[in-house]
Amino acid sequence: MLRHSVRPLALITLLALVALAACTKEPLTGTPDEVITPEADAVVFDPATVPYPTLSAYKFFKGPMAQQRPVVSVLPYEPITPLFTDYAHKFRFVWMPPGVKATYNGDGNILDFPDGAVLIKTFYYDGVQPGNTRRIIETRLLFKRFGQWEFADYVWNAEQTEAYLDLNGSNTPVTWTDENGVTRTISYRIPAEAECHTCHKVSDEASPIGPKPQNMNSQYAFGDGVKNQLAKWVEQGYLQSGYPKNINTVVAWDDMTKPLDDRVRAYLDMNCAHCHTDLRHCSYRPMRFAWNENADPVNQGVCVQPDDPIEPSMTYIVARGNAARSMMHFRMSSNDEAVRMPLMGRTIVHQEAVDMIATWINSMPVPCN
Amino acid sequence: MKHLLLPALALLSFGTASAQSTCATALPIGIGLHTVAAINGTQPASPLCIGAASSMANWYRFTATVDTAMQVTSYLSGYPTVDTRVHVYTGNCGALTCLAADDDTGPGYSSICNFSVTAGVTYTIVFDNYWTANGFTFGLLEMAPPTPPVELINFGSTSIATSGIGALDMNNDGLDDIVGVSANAVTILKQLATGGFQTTTIMTTTAVHTPSWSFAAGDLDGNGWNDMIYGGGQGATIMFATSDGSGFTQFNFPGNPYIFCQRTNMVDLENDGDLDGFSCHDVDANVAFVNDGSGNLTFTQGGYGPTCGNYGSLWTDWDNDGDQDLFIAKCGCDPVDQIMRNNGDGTFTEMNVALGFADSHQSWSSAWGDFDNDGDMDVLIGASSSGYHKLMRNNGNSTFTNVTAGSGIDNFTGQSIEWTTHDFNNDGWLDIHGGGGILVNNGDMTFTLDNTVPGNGPVADLNNDGFLDIVNGSTLRLNEPNENNWMRVRLIGTVSNKSAIGARITITTASGSQIREIRSGDGFRYMSTLYAHFGLGTDEEVLQMSIRWPSGIVQVIEDPAINILHTITEELQTSVAEAPGADVCVFPVPAIDQLTVTGIPANTLVRVIDAAGRSVINTTLGNNRIDVSALTTGTYVLEAITSEGRIVRTFSKE
Repeated sequence: MLRHSVRPLALITLLALVALAACTKEPLTGTPDEVITPEADAVVFDPATVPYPTLSAYKFFKGPMAQQRPVVSVLPYEPITPLFTDYAHKFRFVWMPPGVKATYNGDGNILDFPDGAVLIKTFYYDGVQPGNTRRIIETRLLFKRFGQWEFADYVWNAEQTEAYLDLNGSNTPVTWTDENGVTRTISYRIPAEAECHTCHKVSDEASPIGPKPQNMNSQYAFGDGVKNQLAKWVEQGYLQSGYPKNINTVVAWDDMTKPLDDRVRAYLDMNCAHCHTDLRHCSYRPMRFAWNENADPVNQGVCVQPDDPIEPSMTYIVARGNAARSMMHFRMSSNDEAVRMPLMGRTIVHQEAVDMIATWINSMPVPCN
Repeated sequence: MKHLLLPALALLSFGTASAQSTCATALPIGIGLHTVAAINGTQPASPLCIGAASSMANWYRFTATVDTAMQVTSYLSGYPTVDTRVHVYTGNCGALTCLAADDDTGPGYSSICNFSVTAGVTYTIVFDNYWTANGFTFGLLEMAPPTPPVELINFGSTSIATSGIGALDMNNDGLDDIVGVSANAVTILKQLATGGFQTTTIMTTTAVHTPSWSFAAGDLDGNGWNDMIYGGGQGATIMFATSDGSGFTQFNFPGNPYIFCQRTNMVDLENDGDLDGFSCHDVDANVAFVNDGSGNLTFTQGGYGPTCGNYGSLWTDWDNDGDQDLFIAKCGCDPVDQIMRNNGDGTFTEMNVALGFADSHQSWSSAWGDFDNDGDMDVLIGASSSGYHKLMRNNGNSTFTNVTAGSGIDNFTGQSIEWTTHDFNNDGWLDIHGGGGILVNNGDMTFTLDNTVPGNGPVADLNNDGFLDIVNGSTLRLNEPNENNWMRVRLIGTVSNKSAIGARITITTASGSQIREIRSGDGFRYMSTLYAHFGLGTDEEVLQMSIRWPSGIVQVIEDPAINILHTITEELQTSVAEAPGADVCVFPVPAIDQLTVTGIPANTLVRVIDAAGRSVINTTLGNNRIDVSALTTGTYVLEAITSEGRIVRTFSKE
């Protein structure tokens, strides 16, 4: 078994040295209570035996796992515009084995990750009723071995002490009250492996979606200060330096200081392009929603008739000046699982985004016909 | 179409409507232009002739003085276009009947609605505020009579009390009903012999999966009542009808296996006399729900083609060998259609390359029928998005020829996820429904588009007039009959599955022969009638009807009556030709405790089926004897599967 760690019984006098050599990619600096012990940064990832039955087996986190405090070699990250998944909050982390790193592969392409890379994404809600508590539901892993990405999903127990491998898919009811006092109840969907694959595929090969330079070229508050995420990855040894400095970067969809068109494009990129791009699940429909393609109104569906007349009065995918006649707005406003878009990952409407789309469409002059 | 009166418009009356708030106070109008200040009438449009309900409407009334063609239009040269919607009714307030409607035919979402009028009849014209209450000007114009390219198939429009996903006989009275499904209830509009429907709502436990992707029905457990498969985005739920048909019991598979359901079907996969379930899986291997003969279903996955892009399964005997073969219209990640031949033993061989189906185009469903009435199943694979349609003629020898070019379908640009085939005009030739129209079969493997018809939905005879109707959500589109004759056939299996799914019916008239198959699940989403329908054109007589049941039993009826529904129960043995295994003997008859069977090799699997079609004994034949002591008095069928084929014998038990 290949363990990127030290044996627990290693001599105390060797601890710091071994930790540096085998695990950490960061100088052992920081606040006194953040001093790294080998036990706290002993990520376990053996390509021959993953995925492990429990999330704790990887040793990604220190302290109680529900606090999601990563060990030093596990780096948090955040895309500039996130995917909407029923208002769930998320923690995202990346880990790579020592001595390997990702390389830049274009602003709008997934970084070229090395074998052993693990993307970790934890889904949780705050204000969960009754009790107004935090509930972590699942932690999804995408890991790369033998040149291919694979899925693992860990479903948290009620005690929030452990999460167990489960790729069969299930539903769990969640009622929570958000920061605005709105209470919602959903049947939260924990995906089955084939559901993961539906969105996370290129030509039927599994792939991450989020970690593209265009989504990561932003400031992030790390434990040791605010830094550009890509720069931090380089510093951590997770990204080859020398990538271009002029990255065509998305905006945050909810940043009201940015142009509406860019905010819409950023939202469509993160929420829709994983299917509506060449070689993806719905590449046979005409829309092209990826950031590097969706500046073209035709690719946005503006004045393009829908292939599938699921509601005949929706005359265009985007009917200029008329959200009420736009299939994009109609599908984003629906919860019917054969109508709604995105197809997966949501069961309720992202109202703030629908409102933005309506404003965007209604602001377009000159109707299509 | 030419406006006859446009040059004289300036001379016409120009009215500003005011008293148009309700049906009772509808404003009388004549031919000419009329200005609407705003849609502010308090009585909403009802019944709805198009779309969903709105809150306000303006009401107008017109009485025709001559028989002519009329148009009401909000698209007028020189006037701004407004997003209008219009309904046109006949009848009196309180008993209005939809005649015509339009939403968006004109530019800028304006409405252009054509209809024919009869002298002396009063018509009610209603604009509603579904899209906007803004004012506009509309014209009521007399038109040159239309000269349609073909004789159009006309459909009426009636609001119904549910959104129909299925249209089939749910109460076994020989009349097709309409089925609507929600998570907690099944609404059945039971067709009345006197016309119209009685609404019955049956509450169910909350369905784990709802039929948002597809819906199939048939008698899975053989208790005489149709069960239902709800094909959902994360799995399938089965609703079993209770023993008296008054309710449904929900069944879900242990562990709730994930299925991204697309087309679902019921089919007897092993041809063992009971129905199984099937579902296309969008993102993984297809799944089957295998029936143990008692209605207990086991989830299985794999064995039916690739693991990606499975959208529209259609079970049909395309090689005419008596078993159910499989075609899957494919889309998305692996858009190469599959055509699989049933090897007769529950396994399937993929033949898309050999048969010319291995091209890559995006399709969600296919329409299989004998378009040229030569005794085998042809197919149209319809495009769901930019791409092409493909019409394949079955050559009768397990090969196909692409006959798209010159068929008229090569120039048809409509596209949809639904493609089905029925004889909508009862002329004896199967038409194709999809892409926003009906491709009317000209009888020579060419087709002419009628794009005046409703979109796809469940198809059945919903007013028992022998013409097939369509359900569009909460609107019933009744097919207006012509003079053609017809015949319908309801089959009840005994040895075969009770719904007779997989049965082949052949009729012969002076014009030739036609074939139909009983299917559960065609097109993509809906469930249509389980009763076969034949148009007969002007033929006044059917010389012979032959039924080949899934059991292999063949039943022939000479000179069946026309213009009725025949109900035919499977006989226990073939009435014309000898079945395989002529040397097989079963005795004594009647049997007492032991039944002796000779002529069948030892260790052959045998099954005894009761008159209700239930499997009551499943065993391996040993010492030529079967213990039948537990059986009650009655008539039974012994079935054995041997190398010669399926052997069936009838015996009685004392």
